[in-house]
Amino acid sequence: MRTLPTMLRKELLETWRTYRFLILAVVFLIFALMSPLIAKLTPDIMKMSFGKSLGIQLPKPTSVDSWTQFYKNIGQMGIFVVAIMFSGTMSQELGKGTLVNLVTKGLPRWVVVCSKYISLLLQWVVILTASFLVTWGYTAYYFPDHKTPHIFLGFLPLLVFGMFFLAVILFGSTLARNSYSGLLFTILVMGVLYLVNLFKAAQNYNPVTLIGDNMAITQGTKTLVKIAPGMAVAVAAAVLLVIGAVAVLNRQKL
Amino acid sequence: MNNNWQLLIKYLPIFIPIIILELALMITALIHVLRHPHYRFGNKVLWIIIVVVFQIIGPIVYFAFGRGDDSRG
Repeated sequence: MRTLPTMLRKELLETWRTYRFLILAVVFLIFALMSPLIAKLTPDIMKMSFGKSLGIQLPKPTSVDSWTQFYKNIGQMGIFVVAIMFSGTMSQELGKGTLVNLVTKGLPRWVVVCSKYISLLLQWVVILTASFLVTWGYTAYYFPDHKTPHIFLGFLPLLVFGMFFLAVILFGSTLARNSYSGLLFTILVMGVLYLVNLFKAAQNYNPVTLIGDNMAITQGTKTLVKIAPGMAVAVAAAVLLVIGAVAVLNRQKL
Repeated sequence: MNNNWQLLIKYLPIFIPIIILELALMITALIHVLRHPHYRFGNKVLWIIIVVVFQIIGPIVYFAFGRGDDSRG
């Protein structure tokens, strides 16, 4: 049990030295800064490009537009960058054989998987919370209205989705021999989930709903209870995937 | 033109951190490109151009795909 904190420290050090944490933090912060900016500037850009020929009166941007941008950026581009950055987390070590020494000296394999998962989760929570706070601050400053009452409730599903998504990445990375096939696995899973989302009956159970319904919850048109099944499925799937990753690694030749 | 300046000044609190973050990312990547002359593909000049010209995307592509094995240097 004492090996887990040690391995966790190794993982955190690794993510720092390989610049993964830095890149993700910068990218997410830029997304967070862009969201209120794009929301504010869209009408101006339209006016500049169309001039007076634009007949309709454009509605003034509100905090709703700002948060819509935020969830669109993070939910599409953001998680893709996360997948690219972390797809090699296990497969690189398997490919290079850096785990051989540790495991033959008696390091349990589940410690490897768990330390990696905890380090991924920590990074996700820190980076996402930071970018959320940035968008929150700027949105409150530039859009002082009350159209988005449930900001925290809308944010919670995104955090939970990370639990699921990182478990998918870790499992795919454990299966794969290089980071590209790990990435492919993650993309396939997301593709399947988006396909499942076409069926209305399954929507509230689908983890994808956690990155799709944030705006509805933030505005108060949908309650968090409605997507609670999706959250439960996401958490359960995350636990199963981590256990699965341990099982796969146990059979894997290092 | 006057209008654009007004916009720029009005949103300076957003522009400044964005520019700082982009520059920080670019400089980190640039230093890494110069210090580690082994790449998975491409050469030094190619990566310098990519990192400097393509803001945000360039450094990400470099760290994700272009960076060579650290153990080799």
